[in-house]
Amino acid sequence: MNAIGLLIIILLILMVLVGGAQGIKAFVGLVLNFMAIFILMILINWQFNTYIVTALMSVVILALAIYLGAENPFVTNTAFKTSLIVVAILMLLSIIVQHLGQFQGFATENSEELEGLSLQVGLPFTKIAVVVMVISILGAVAEAAMAIVADLNEVIERTPNLSHKSLYAHAHIIGGQILGTAINTLFFGVLGANLPLLIWFIRLRYSLSMFFNAKLLMMEIVTMILGMLGILLSIWVASRLVAHEYTKIQKINMKKES
Amino acid sequence: MIFLKKTKKYWLIGIAVILAWLFLRSNAFMYHEPVGEVIKVEVQSTQQTTDEHGNTDKIYQQYLTIKLLNRNRVINLTNQYTTSQTVTHQYREGDQLLLAGHPGRLRIISVKRDATIGALGVLFFGLLLVYGKWRATSWLTLSLVVNIVLFGFALLLDVQFKNPNVILIFSILAFFVATTSLLLVLGKTLQMVVTLLATLLSTILTMLIMFFVLKITGNEGVHFETMSYVTQVPITLFIAQTIIGVLGAVMDEAADIVAALFGLRRENADRHFKDYWLAGMNVGRDIMGTLINVLFMIFIAETMPMVFLMLRNGNNWPYILDQIMNLGILQTVVSGIGIVLAVPVTSALVGWIVERYKVVNT
Repeated sequence: MNAIGLLIIILLILMVLVGGAQGIKAFVGLVLNFMAIFILMILINWQFNTYIVTALMSVVILALAIYLGAENPFVTNTAFKTSLIVVAILMLLSIIVQHLGQFQGFATENSEELEGLSLQVGLPFTKIAVVVMVISILGAVAEAAMAIVADLNEVIERTPNLSHKSLYAHAHIIGGQILGTAINTLFFGVLGANLPLLIWFIRLRYSLSMFFNAKLLMMEIVTMILGMLGILLSIWVASRLVAHEYTKIQKINMKKES
Repeated sequence: MIFLKKTKKYWLIGIAVILAWLFLRSNAFMYHEPVGEVIKVEVQSTQQTTDEHGNTDKIYQQYLTIKLLNRNRVINLTNQYTTSQTVTHQYREGDQLLLAGHPGRLRIISVKRDATIGALGVLFFGLLLVYGKWRATSWLTLSLVVNIVLFGFALLLDVQFKNPNVILIFSILAFFVATTSLLLVLGKTLQMVVTLLATLLSTILTMLIMFFVLKITGNEGVHFETMSYVTQVPITLFIAQTIIGVLGAVMDEAADIVAALFGLRRENADRHFKDYWLAGMNVGRDIMGTLINVLFMIFIAETMPMVFLMLRNGNNWPYILDQIMNLGILQTVVSGIGIVLAVPVTSALVGWIVERYKVVNT
């Protein structure tokens, strides 16, 4: 039997055992996300406008990740709004960074894999580099936004008559914790994925300057920093949005009472 | 004026980013190899091409005038690039390049990217400082720096040997990294010990499941030979990188669950195993889906350029899934199993230890 197939079945069983109905929903969410990215790649391959397709599919992927991840409409709506704002900012930043740093395509380290392949394929790899940056941050942004909004929502529900100021204080403490752990996950995720490349660089005695300039390695570092920025911005934007919504609800309540 | 005062911090960040950029654009004196700046670009010729799969592209020949910034000379080079820029580069005026070769016959080896990375890094740390204040930020930064140093040490150790025991080296690394990060974030507390135990236990269990499945299926459908940038035995390298990936994800999650459960304990210490178990499962259920998503997105984005190239070269999806995305999917699924397993493992561990501790204390 196929090892990966068996592991996927084990993952599904575990998700159902641990998460029950929510586990099934999360699994379906992963499958749907996989399909959304599939469609994204097919559309780009058919040479639709790369940036427009990426922006549209990012909205779909964020919606899937967030609305299938939690139930509470206040949490999901606020998290969704937050992620849209953050991803829009980061997409602009990615375009600037790619323009300045030129991270597109492959490098000499890929020669072996590229053997026998046609390289004049007529796709804009400069834009595909931006797609790579944007897609790789989507998960981190959605996760951070969901985590902070859900936690703040719990604080609001638990403490009636919460003042604006102490809501911000809570946001700060919770935000700091989420930031710390999320940045660590991202850091290890990227390091883990690039172990062979790093060993390659050291074994083949690359000069120090290549560690700060080589395309493949720098692309990874750029996506990592963009992801961390995404986490930071989501926490920030989400705290502001929650506080804003909260004062709106408070005002309506006060009017009702008077 | 009030506007300026209120947004002062952001102006400072902006200035720091620009300064970092300007400094790193003019640090050619720090490089051994020749660094050049393109000062003039002329396109000499263009040519339309069609490959055997019917893809059309354009090949340009450009004539570059490059001023060497740390050699005090001006040189001329010709460069070929295609519109798709798969492996070739279109250079523009103002681009800084790293060069190599004999003084008479220099060739371009890379775009100089340190200014871009540096400016982006400064932007991140600036915003982190504004948000997190000095104390919290410095702990986080310290833990990142310590991890990078430990990692670098492990890498150097690894390349000392021709056939290193990668799994052993990186398992030990994983243990140290988890211990130091948690110590720096949580301090020497019971909470830290519990989080560390939960992290290690979940990671070990996950790896055992992976070994078991690979063993009974005889690695069927897994193509370790498709791994990129291989300089040593791929299978052990893959296991090492999976350990690191799983550990990071599990540590994050375990920390979240333990923090929530210790919050409960602070409110009311008179709780039983079952309370902690149920609460922990509740917290974990909410975060496991999105966490798997984070790793999944990182992996799939990384394979994209190669997938596009393969598609354009007339390969079908089943082949691409099997050859290009194979190991990435395997690693994501294994990390996913780790993330899910960590929920019951952490909940049970916290319940068990905390209940015991309560008895000892009273």
